[in-house]
Amino acid sequence: MLSKSNLQSLLFLAVAVGITLLFLTGQVGGVLSGAGLPAYKADLFAFLAIVSVAVVSLAFGGNKTMIMIGGTVTAFIVLTAFQDSMVRYMTLGAIFFAIGAYGMVASRNAVRMLMSIELMINAANINFVTFSRAVDPEHLGGQLFAIFVLTVAAAEAAVGLAIVLAIYRNMATVDMEKFNLLKW
Amino acid sequence: MEGFPQLTTWAQANVEQAVFYLLAVIAIPLAYGVVCDRNIIRSGFLLIGVFSTIAGLFILLSAQFLALAQIMIYGVGITLVVVIALMLTNPKAEKESMPALSIHKGPAIFVACFLFMCVYLALRSAENWPVKTDVAALSAAENLSRIGQSLLTNYSFHFEFASILLLAALIGAVMLAKAEPAVHDLNELSANEDKLKSSERADDVVKV
Amino acid sequence: MNPAVFEIGKFARLTVIWLSIIFGAVWAACWAVGVFAPALINASGMPTETASLASEVLRALVPVVAVAVFIPINAMFMVLCERRALALFTVRKGPNRVGPDGLLQTAADAVKLLFKEDITPHGADAVMFTAAPIIFFAPSIIGVLPLLAAASGNHELFRSVNLPTGIFYVLAIASIPVVGIVMGGWASNNKYSLVGALRSAAQAISYEIPLVLSIVAVCLMAGTLDVVKIADQQKDSLLSWNIFGGGALLPYVNLVVAGLQGNNEQVQAIMQHFQAQPLGPFAAVLMVVCCIIFFGIYITGACAEVNRIPFDLPEAESELVSGYNTEYSGIKFAIFFLAEFTNLFVVCSIASIMFLGGGHAPLPGLEQGFTEMLGGILKQLPGSKEIFSPGWLINSLVNPSTVSQAFWIILKTYSLVIFAILIRATLPRFRIDQLMAFGWKRLIPLSLILLIALTYLRELV
Repeated sequence: MLSKSNLQSLLFLAVAVGITLLFLTGQVGGVLSGAGLPAYKADLFAFLAIVSVAVVSLAFGGNKTMIMIGGTVTAFIVLTAFQDSMVRYMTLGAIFFAIGAYGMVASRNAVRMLMSIELMINAANINFVTFSRAVDPEHLGGQLFAIFVLTVAAAEAAVGLAIVLAIYRNMATVDMEKFNLLKW
Repeated sequence: MEGFPQLTTWAQANVEQAVFYLLAVIAIPLAYGVVCDRNIIRSGFLLIGVFSTIAGLFILLSAQFLALAQIMIYGVGITLVVVIALMLTNPKAEKESMPALSIHKGPAIFVACFLFMCVYLALRSAENWPVKTDVAALSAAENLSRIGQSLLTNYSFHFEFASILLLAALIGAVMLAKAEPAVHDLNELSANEDKLKSSERADDVVKV
Repeated sequence: MNPAVFEIGKFARLTVIWLSIIFGAVWAACWAVGVFAPALINASGMPTETASLASEVLRALVPVVAVAVFIPINAMFMVLCERRALALFTVRKGPNRVGPDGLLQTAADAVKLLFKEDITPHGADAVMFTAAPIIFFAPSIIGVLPLLAAASGNHELFRSVNLPTGIFYVLAIASIPVVGIVMGGWASNNKYSLVGALRSAAQAISYEIPLVLSIVAVCLMAGTLDVVKIADQQKDSLLSWNIFGGGALLPYVNLVVAGLQGNNEQVQAIMQHFQAQPLGPFAAVLMVVCCIIFFGIYITGACAEVNRIPFDLPEAESELVSGYNTEYSGIKFAIFFLAEFTNLFVVCSIASIMFLGGGHAPLPGLEQGFTEMLGGILKQLPGSKEIFSPGWLINSLVNPSTVSQAFWIILKTYSLVIFAILIRATLPRFRIDQLMAFGWKRLIPLSLILLIALTYLRELV
């Protein structure tokens, strides 16, 4: 359990949590304003610090999954702790969107790509509902838009999966790297 | 929670933020699991978790109807179909040989970070949105009736159009997924026929 | 005496004893948490702020306590009831050795299950394998809460769980358990489990559509999703129940009654109403027919949702060993078992609230008369105002209208449960292709057509 890479990533998590705590207790902001930088940018600096620590510990061979998850969670807390609630929800939506985009580009399985698309659609839905709550609480335009998004996503999933099944039946694979029939 | 004034005020003061962060801390690892887990069927189940936490976020944003629709349509309907498709297209043999993610990892991380930074900076830069968070959200009953009225008045065209889209998708999905003799079966058939004629040519067809 | 009558008498005795145990326990638990403990706290001389907050927390916990007490005892009773009823229908004895006349059979079974070894099969996904029973079981706890408010006649202790989204919430939560089945079937690393799970998913998705459409028809007639309001609209008599068209026939019956009584003014008033709607009687009869068919569709869909025979393909023992729960043992299997019977109870209580008038009596005046009689008796008790006197205790324990509502809803729901057992004893199992064809080619078109018909008939009545 406690292999070298796991130790590395635990160390990273400790550093990240430390930076977060420093930031949350106002230490980072104080130091930065002492150095002449505007305090409202403190969260961006804390974010950059976490990212750089993550890159360093990845370079020294930490456990990738733990570092990515821990880094994202701490960065999310740092970026949103002193924002108003609307920005908070939408930042979470942006994180889902980025994760979905990553899965979309990186995955080889066609069904996993569809799953990533669903994740991105849901991220967009979070933003719609947040706008509906914050900007338009009387008419609920955002929620209605989200309902239509839900409908279209259902149709998309049905047709997409049917296409994947048809491809699987013809090619006996769902690996995106092997669908190269149209490659000159 | 009518009839419980003290509990309600206490909850409004303390719980909303804590529940939001709790849901976020659960949802982010689950979302990573969806895109990174080696076992793809497990990542299909994790997707259900992600959608359920998003339904929780909708409840926090006082969109009760949408949260329930999210659970019913996304959390159960769509995801189960996805999981079944996974089970149909992913026999164990293929799962073992195939790495979860492809060689495009570097570009993928770049794309993800770029998109996130774009969205986040856009969020931070817009400081004069007409935000009305001080306006109380509609109660659940009002929310429900407002959505129903809007769907049948202002948005009735979109509503009808969505129904046609769903019908088309249903028919299209049935047509696409309907069983027909697959190409590789035909290949095998012709390969077998060829085998009777000359064994060398049959080997070539199988390799292709 | 005819031995069959004797057996039926024994079955009825068993049912009455178990039901009084179940609902006595639930009633006592609710009273202890929701009434007695807050009264103790208020009398104990704590600071007012703390005392009122504590009693509020206690009273908010009552619905959860009720469900937590109810579910295990109820599942034990339903297993025993099912076995005895099946024995009755197939002319056997059934379990009759443990306790007086087999009363304690399932209690013994439960103890045995809890002490069995908990096995995780080789190659199983341990986390998913453990999570599956929980995901299967949890919805039946959180999903029934709005139904409690309707079943108790909007009693003040249960009012907080009545959501405006009512029946939609119940249906959304009730769609979750199939995830648990698929998860458990896949994680068991067993092909029979997997086939059972896939069958269950296909079945649940197909039969959810007619089920929801039949509930939509009821909500259309009621004009609300709120279960308490839906139950309240059916309070007049048998004819205002949703299964009989939600009061569509009421004016015509009133006409006949007025005619028989010779009340000419009333007859003329009603006749004027008819002249505005000449197609009225015809539409009303058609509407009643529609509603009865919808009730049938609901029962069919509900049987398929909770995997009862004739739709128990996911656990067809002659084909799939035991389907999705083949690999489960010990406490996890017990949870699956518990949830299955609780789900059966939940769909039956939805049916009795949505279609059969909830906690309201079938004949007008019955409920009111009972309430007034009991209320009169309770008022006679000495010292009913002083706290902790015997009169106060009985008055706080027994609320006349809740007693009447509880009696009727228990009667209706358990009648439906026994009807489901009767179906199980009567019908053979479907084949999977027959099941899907029946769902998609018969039930869904039928319910869509009936729904459209109902919208027009509603305008004509």
